[in-house]
Amino acid sequence: MAGPPRSRDTVSGFLDFASRRNKKFGVRVVGVKEGIAYPALLPSSCQDRTNLISSRFSLRAQLSQPWTTQSRTYMARHRRDFIKWTRGPGKLLKEPRPDQTNYLETKDSKGNMLKRPFPLNPEFKSEAVLDDKAREMIWEEVMRKGKTIKQVSAELGVDITRVAAIVRLKEVEKDWISKGKKLATPYCKAILSMVPTKSFKSAEQQNVPFEPINELHIHASTMKQIFWPTSESRHFTRADAAKAFHKDMLPADERVPHPELLQMEKSLLEGKSVWEAKAEFMDAAEKSERNAAERQMRRAMAEDSATRKFNTERFEFRFKEFNSEDVGRDGRRKKAVGWKYGMPSYDRMKGAIKIPTKVPQIGWS
Amino acid sequence: MRGKRLHALKRPKLRQSWNKYNLYNFWRQRDPKIGLKDDETFFQQKWRAKGLLRSYHGEHVRERDWERMFSRRLLSVANMDARYMAEWDGSEQAAGRGSGQDKRPNWNAPDVKPMTLTPYMNMAFAPLERRLDVAVFRALFASSARQARGMCVHGHVKVNGKVTPHPTYKLNPGDMISVNPDIVMFATGRPKGKAYVEPTPSGTASAAKNKKLRELYERGVCYACRKPGHLAAHCPGAGASEQELSVAEAESDATVSAQQAAAEQDPDTTDAPEAPVEDMKPTREAIQSLMSQAKLVLAAEAPTLKVKQKRDLRSFIKQAKPLLSRAGRPSATPSDIASELTKMVSELNLVDISNDTQEAAAQEAASSSETREPPKSIDDLTTDERKALERLIREEEENPIDPSKPYATPWRPRSYMAPFAFIPKYLEVNQNVCSAVYLRHPVARVGRAEVPTPYGYRINQLAFNWYLRRR
Repeated sequence: MAGPPRSRDTVSGFLDFASRRNKKFGVRVVGVKEGIAYPALLPSSCQDRTNLISSRFSLRAQLSQPWTTQSRTYMARHRRDFIKWTRGPGKLLKEPRPDQTNYLETKDSKGNMLKRPFPLNPEFKSEAVLDDKAREMIWEEVMRKGKTIKQVSAELGVDITRVAAIVRLKEVEKDWISKGKKLATPYCKAILSMVPTKSFKSAEQQNVPFEPINELHIHASTMKQIFWPTSESRHFTRADAAKAFHKDMLPADERVPHPELLQMEKSLLEGKSVWEAKAEFMDAAEKSERNAAERQMRRAMAEDSATRKFNTERFEFRFKEFNSEDVGRDGRRKKAVGWKYGMPSYDRMKGAIKIPTKVPQIGWS
Repeated sequence: MRGKRLHALKRPKLRQSWNKYNLYNFWRQRDPKIGLKDDETFFQQKWRAKGLLRSYHGEHVRERDWERMFSRRLLSVANMDARYMAEWDGSEQAAGRGSGQDKRPNWNAPDVKPMTLTPYMNMAFAPLERRLDVAVFRALFASSARQARGMCVHGHVKVNGKVTPHPTYKLNPGDMISVNPDIVMFATGRPKGKAYVEPTPSGTASAAKNKKLRELYERGVCYACRKPGHLAAHCPGAGASEQELSVAEAESDATVSAQQAAAEQDPDTTDAPEAPVEDMKPTREAIQSLMSQAKLVLAAEAPTLKVKQKRDLRSFIKQAKPLLSRAGRPSATPSDIASELTKMVSELNLVDISNDTQEAAAQEAASSSETREPPKSIDDLTTDERKALERLIREEEENPIDPSKPYATPWRPRSYMAPFAFIPKYLEVNQNVCSAVYLRHPVARVGRAEVPTPYGYRINQLAFNWYLRRR
């Protein structure tokens, strides 16, 4: 407690005034009796250690003395401001608005009122999520009507991975319902009424796409600026550009999530009918999905045939063939097994917890 | 991690939390204006910027761990228009001097639109969004990143169906996280307040009263007038007897304490002292007993009560809760509370039409035979009433009053939650099963970045530069 007693701790405005006046003369107010301030005779360093009237710890002692008035209860300015806020602007933020977002308000450079979760970050917006009806519809399309994920993605304008995730999560939900497990329905309702949501009319009708579906990942090799001299007469296409960036790089036309969509647009430009182009797209999407499934199956089978399994009561031991000589050019190949000279192994370090880097989606039994 | 003040008011820091103090800090924050004046060196600017952001992003993650996680490779995507790609093969981009045919600028244009940039710098803390605990928080399953961490550690979180007690687990695209719904509802729901506490067998006066009321109910005695043969809902003097008695008690207490306060006040003092703390215990107990009575009536006599009566009772309980909490505040006076309570009780019309005074009943019976009698079974209800009843039953089934739950029931979202409620695009959440799929790593697009971060491009850029050093 350095400096003169502060007004919120002292009893009256008079005392506050007196203390401010006496500051000039190095005299401090230590007591008050019926509005009369007594100057302190102690040096200020001693006063700081004694229980001054300004100290909130002396409050209780004061209350018992009949010749003083009650002092106000101590409350820091910030806390007072906070309480004021909870009664003013904070009151509007306490409860969710029915079926509406309730974000903080801010102004943009033109003075327009905006609502954002982070008022100082214009680059982050709270974007809509698909509501329960839309999720149910996507599940119906895939599981009941048997459409491929790519088809549903293109029809509704929902990202391929999102369609797959929605179906996967819905399957869990259906499983819970069939098992009679209780869903967190009140929680779901509350959240979906707080965040912006998007719904679809029906799969047959034309819907506004939910998000861009044909987004290309910016490959690190394409981030560099390169000087690539070619002749002026050369027809330099996207495929050539990809080769210029890296010899193994595929052109953007093949790297996008929906190359079939590109083909459909090309067919339309060639003058094919919409119906025909769409049928072609449906076929191509189905074929690519089947191919992907086959590829995955083949990989799993190859893995399975390369592993010998021994089932005991408690564990399943899996053995694979490894060549200990196969350590690469410098002997430090990542896939090499066993101890390698110069490579630290933290396997047995004290306190090291083995945190898995991946949890397989299938295969846990 | 322990002993750190997370939500400070004096030197505020923004946190990954739905706490009300944190919301206040978000609300009052102003642009820190780093690097706008030349009073700071570049080092100082970077230091301050990284401090501001690190207090939000993974404040529970040690600096060394975060530094190891940091990646200078920032992910982004470009939207490829299928139509444009079908029409053009890319050679138009190579025309001219190699970066596309030059277009003549329109010098007469009234205003030139500024280029929208891709905020790569906002992705500085993207690697942290991969952490399991942060993803649980982002999916709105926990009210803070620390709480999410606790959920992981205590084994409430599964990744691809396997319990993963490692909050540091880095999610891979396609990973599904599932949290126990009860834990989620506990974390995001209102806490069990005093109003919700079930009466304990021993101790408080209200508990004893409740026990007595239950006994009365079991013996088939009305709790309002203590006469057997009918229940409180049909009691002719229900409003007048006990309920008002307790309110009157509270009022009389209030007047007495007010008189005492007047006597104690010293007229000679220069400054008016604060009102002495009044004993609110009887008032609180009166409210509590009224609430428990209402609850008992609601639970025991649900079939006999009408829909509107039940609704009235529920709204009475709902109104009584804030009143009870207000009665606990130092500024409360018994008279205010009592007058409000009286008003509420008078509004609560539980007396059945058929059980009104006998004269009225006789008159009714004599005058008009077409007056509808109170329904005796569900078949007597009108279609609207039946629908309303069905809706009520459905709501009750979905969101029941269950004292065994660790949160306040019926479940409601916690206060000050809505301003924080957003779900980033890289997660697909199914709230019904409290599960989410981590679709991909967060990315930057033209004009938008997916990492939820409290500050804009400039401050993130400075922080990014801080972590770039010696890399």
